[in-house]
Amino acid sequence: MPYKASCLIPADAGKKCIIAFGAMLPRGDKVLRLSSINELKELRRVLIDASDKSIPCIVIPTGTCGQASGAGDLVRVAKREILKKGLTKKVHLRITGCHGFCQMEPSVLVEPRRVFYPRVGLKAMERIVEAAARDEVLTDILFVDPETGKPVEKQDDIPFFNKQVRRLLACSEQVDPIRIYDYLKISGYSLLAKVLTKGSPGWVVEEVQRSGLRGRGGGGFPTGLKWDLLAKQPTSRGKFLVCNADEGDPGAYMDRSVLEGNPHSIIEGMVIGAYGTGATEGIAYVRNEYPIAIKHLNIALKQARQLGLLGENILGTGFSFDIKLVKGAGAFVCGEETALIRSIEGKMGEPRQRPPFPIQKGIDGRPTAINNVETWANVPLIFKLGAKKFANIGTEGNSGTKIFSLVGKIKNTGLVEVPMGITIKEIVYDIGGGSPGKSKIKAVQTGGPSGGCIPADKFDLSVDYETLANAGSIMGSGGMIVMDENTCIVDVAKYFMNFLKDESCGKCFTCRKGTQRMYEILDDISKGKGTVEHLGLLKELAGTVKDTTMCGLGQTASNPVLSTLRYFRDEYLRHVIDKKCNAFVCRDIVGAPCQAACPLDTEVWRYVALIEKGKYEEAYKIIRDSNPFPSVCARVCGRKCENRCNIATSGGQAIAIRSMKRFITDRIDPSVYKPVRIARRDKKIHRIAVIGAGPAGLSAAHYLSLLGYKVTVVDAGEEPGGMLISCIPAYRLPLDVTRKEIKTLIDENITLRCGTALGRDITIDELFRDGFEAVFLAIGADKSWRLGLEAEDTIGIYPSMQFLKAFNLKGEEMAKGHVGIVGGGNSAVDAARVAIRQKKVKSVTLLYRRTAQEMPAYAEEVEAALEEGIRLETLVSPTSIRYIRAAEAEGVRVETYVEPIKIDARNGRLADIQCIKNKLGDIDSSGRRKPVPIPRTEFTIALDTLIVAIGERPDSDCLASMGLELDKGGRLGVDAKTLQTNRKGVFAGGDLVTGPNTVVNAIAAGRKAAGVIDRYIHGEELAEPPRVKLPSVFIEPAVVSDEELEDAQRAEPATLNAGSRKKSFAEVEMVLSVEQAVCEAHRCLRCDLEFTQRKENEEAECVAVEEKSA
Amino acid sequence: MITLKINGLNVSVEKGSTLLEAARFLGFPVPTLCHMDGLSPYGACRLCVVEIGEGPKAKLVSSCTYPAEEGLTVRTASERVLRARKMILELLLASCPQSKIIQDLASAHGIRRQRFKQEHEDCILCGLCVRMCEEQMMAKAIGFRGRGEKRSIGTPFDIKSDVCRLCGGCMYVCPACQLRCTYNEPEKAICGGCANLSPPCVDKEQFNDMMCYMSPCVACEIKKD
Repeated sequence: MPYKASCLIPADAGKKCIIAFGAMLPRGDKVLRLSSINELKELRRVLIDASDKSIPCIVIPTGTCGQASGAGDLVRVAKREILKKGLTKKVHLRITGCHGFCQMEPSVLVEPRRVFYPRVGLKAMERIVEAAARDEVLTDILFVDPETGKPVEKQDDIPFFNKQVRRLLACSEQVDPIRIYDYLKISGYSLLAKVLTKGSPGWVVEEVQRSGLRGRGGGGFPTGLKWDLLAKQPTSRGKFLVCNADEGDPGAYMDRSVLEGNPHSIIEGMVIGAYGTGATEGIAYVRNEYPIAIKHLNIALKQARQLGLLGENILGTGFSFDIKLVKGAGAFVCGEETALIRSIEGKMGEPRQRPPFPIQKGIDGRPTAINNVETWANVPLIFKLGAKKFANIGTEGNSGTKIFSLVGKIKNTGLVEVPMGITIKEIVYDIGGGSPGKSKIKAVQTGGPSGGCIPADKFDLSVDYETLANAGSIMGSGGMIVMDENTCIVDVAKYFMNFLKDESCGKCFTCRKGTQRMYEILDDISKGKGTVEHLGLLKELAGTVKDTTMCGLGQTASNPVLSTLRYFRDEYLRHVIDKKCNAFVCRDIVGAPCQAACPLDTEVWRYVALIEKGKYEEAYKIIRDSNPFPSVCARVCGRKCENRCNIATSGGQAIAIRSMKRFITDRIDPSVYKPVRIARRDKKIHRIAVIGAGPAGLSAAHYLSLLGYKVTVVDAGEEPGGMLISCIPAYRLPLDVTRKEIKTLIDENITLRCGTALGRDITIDELFRDGFEAVFLAIGADKSWRLGLEAEDTIGIYPSMQFLKAFNLKGEEMAKGHVGIVGGGNSAVDAARVAIRQKKVKSVTLLYRRTAQEMPAYAEEVEAALEEGIRLETLVSPTSIRYIRAAEAEGVRVETYVEPIKIDARNGRLADIQCIKNKLGDIDSSGRRKPVPIPRTEFTIALDTLIVAIGERPDSDCLASMGLELDKGGRLGVDAKTLQTNRKGVFAGGDLVTGPNTVVNAIAAGRKAAGVIDRYIHGEELAEPPRVKLPSVFIEPAVVSDEELEDAQRAEPATLNAGSRKKSFAEVEMVLSVEQAVCEAHRCLRCDLEFTQRKENEEAECVAVEEKSA
Repeated sequence: MITLKINGLNVSVEKGSTLLEAARFLGFPVPTLCHMDGLSPYGACRLCVVEIGEGPKAKLVSSCTYPAEEGLTVRTASERVLRARKMILELLLASCPQSKIIQDLASAHGIRRQRFKQEHEDCILCGLCVRMCEEQMMAKAIGFRGRGEKRSIGTPFDIKSDVCRLCGGCMYVCPACQLRCTYNEPEKAICGGCANLSPPCVDKEQFNDMMCYMSPCVACEIKKD
């Protein structure tokens, strides 16, 4: 049914337009049709005159992303408010397609000031309408720049937008896709008019050739050349132009967005193309999964036809061309041009051999040129800017802009339009904002299932057709999936293979079976059943599939496998050799993530379930079974389990596992656990020496003792415990807890020799001479790094380790007056919090060179420091930094972005330090942004005490003289699997090997060393064969009501209030109550059930079958 | 006539020939599974791949579908071609181990192992039967259905086709399942294994209306003994 003229006239054109066209408008149902180029010009003039740009216009993007996040409701609210408050003359409303910042949908843009409001709620929408009518800005709901923490008013000042070159996407903001007059107003169809006026098809093709435009669908074939070839084909039977909108790459939606937001640009591009090439028929092939795009395109086609811009005798010039819309049934392969042609012909979407190429024999055997949506959208732009200006942007051979859909583990998800040749780094970090969380970005996947993964160290590559192809990926249609450390590369390859084995047309045997077999192998690898041979086979097979298939799908189907094998072989090897998935994605080798994350393999799910059942003793036994230091770990564990808790990784609050452990260890006496002693394997008594009585050394000694060895533990300190007693402050870990725990471990097989230092009192050679058969070195890392500044030995400056030890072991209070602490790690925060508790201290300031978010210290400790009054100045919202908070609450001041550069001493004592301010620069190898000093921002801080806590290293100089190899950081190199050093019989673990690390890792190293040394003594293979540990014990899950789960919050243990704890060393954190613990256990998702229940069911089935057969 | 170079030999072939026809005409053997004289070329099995072009632009194409082009350089047995063929045969053997044709081809190409999980499929979707039915029997009773992993051959919606005359042409041309009617336990259907199985077609009444096209028929041979 044709549109009535009144429908075509936009509301904002007002009466003026209707009056002006009164004479032209035919009566009745007939509609306005432009019969000459001049009439088009006239209509545009009238439209522009009728619109008043000074009236604020509320623009609501309602692309698929917008609608999915509630933009439809915003439109309704905005309309209602405008009508209710009678603001029709004061505020205009425009409903457009997606603007690109999908992360912030539903968003609202208010013109002409271009104020951007992200994530607008219904209430906020009402306010926006009112504010817009008064030409005001609502500063409280503006976009907040995550880097500066300040609100940004204008859309164009937001980093996501201002770093793009939005040639195509900007049009989507200005146009209501179902109103052709909007498009006419932004000089739409004027370029068609220009081309028609010029009257030279040859010039059109030449102009496109000069622009250097290349196919945006991914192949990169020069568009001008394609058009030239088509123009040269015989015209007798007619020629086709096709717009390929069968966008099907997972994670790519540029084409959809352009079609939804600006369909007329495609139509205009195609009509210009038809004029240039002499094509007679046009087809837009849109996949049926894009209902809004189909709807908008259909409306646009109808409107263009009615206005005489499409169809017979366009603009009265005698040139005819019409476009038909064909809906694709959604087969991925139909994006391939020969399959697309067959699909249009009504046949099965199956590619065929080229030659003959579609340009010779396409639809129904007639010449056909197929271009992608984005290519067509670029065509009017070439004629608007002129070929030369068009090619100004981009690089040689890769001109113009390209839209990418940036998705995955990225802060700013959305569509970005950038000049070709920009680096991946700029897209991911500058526009995309980098990783949304703390984990490091690992790779980007470009080009969808046909593309490949590009690792982070190759992010300097420029984005153009050739560079990406050389890197093993492809430009593709523009999908860019960002992956971080929580993405498993094997799983990614498996995902794409799964997609391809379903989406391959199945004609070529190698593509069909090859993708199935690749999936099969990847699936085996992800289940821990792969071998190294599988990797070779996978590569060989991938090569064959690439080589022997007919169409583009098959030839590129191996790319996800080949590129990941090329760049992430280590991750594959980790799966096939160690049977581990570092990203915790491959379920069948991870099991329960809490257990898999624990270096000690603690069955976390099990003791949490037992707490729920009230079986505390059993729970204690489970904890103690894998951890000789349960009470210590209940206080100072790094809690990898909580980071990996499935609730946390899906965006919720992790189970408070450490607090649950504390709950158990505080109420159960260690004596309930009787360690299992294994009978000695031979009659001989073997003696082992352990150097260092820290967590690693003591754990090794304990487990060796259980295996029947006589162990001598040597330590330089006066009592065993290492870091646990010397450096961890008592308010975190009370001394008596540590002492009590150590006492349970020392048995008749263990001899302690304190006050004996390696190098000073004994050497390794002497130990061997004394009859020790193996030596385990675990001397830790307790030497502070120096700043490397002049006058660092002035009185008043202390390394953090010296400062902490002096207080913990001797009660000496070194800090006085105003105290500064350089560093952002745990020992810096510890030092800060110890300092603020010392009597003569007036203030404490933490100085850190990056942002608070990047501090390596535990978040809860930082937060505690903040609570204690420690000051932290930061440019980011410290929502997750509990650790700093705690220190702050105690009075510690934290300054970020500063770095000391000079120390001033007066009368031989520290007087002040000079610092320089930093800003964040490029990403360094740790995945964090490098701090870069800002020139001329030096400032002075007057200090009485300066504690240097920029890191620790092992005090290992003596080891070098004993024939052991150390690295620059003083760390001892060992074989990761066997902990063996370069000297036979000498093993090492803990911080000495890793550098400063967590207690739990040290315990794990000690336990592992005991096993290795046992095998060494008996002359067996040292490395333990990898095994997958899946939950195996079934514990009945608790029945929990939905209401309880709904308002369940993570159980946070009570803490001493900041005021009272500031001047004492009493333990800050308290233990959970029984109710809290049970509630917390109820929140557990019980990931173990997936494995144990399955077994239960299987067993039940077996029983049933047996009964039946009996 | 079109002149091109095959395996280093400058030759002329008729316009419109495929590379396969050209190569075979000149006596260069190229193995095929989905090709049959008298049926249109399809290019599904990829066994007939040959290498065309020079240097970095050299690529493998299926010779049965690729037209002979003026000045083209073709290698029918280059290292790359043989490597690809071997992998294809290994894949075929892993899926259809019971096919005599596949066994023979694999053996001729020196395939001595099979590294994939063993399957027992009775179809490699080469499409010979589909083309036989359509092009020679003029029936179009069967065709391809689905895509990717789910692709299969059969009648629409698995309803018995009205145009099927039970001519058996489809089974006659099948390279994967000449012995299809003689086995019903795929896991036992290894080479020669079919001879141990009971032939289902011989004594069954439901086959009365059908003509047996198998000559010689393994099942009948066994029965005779």
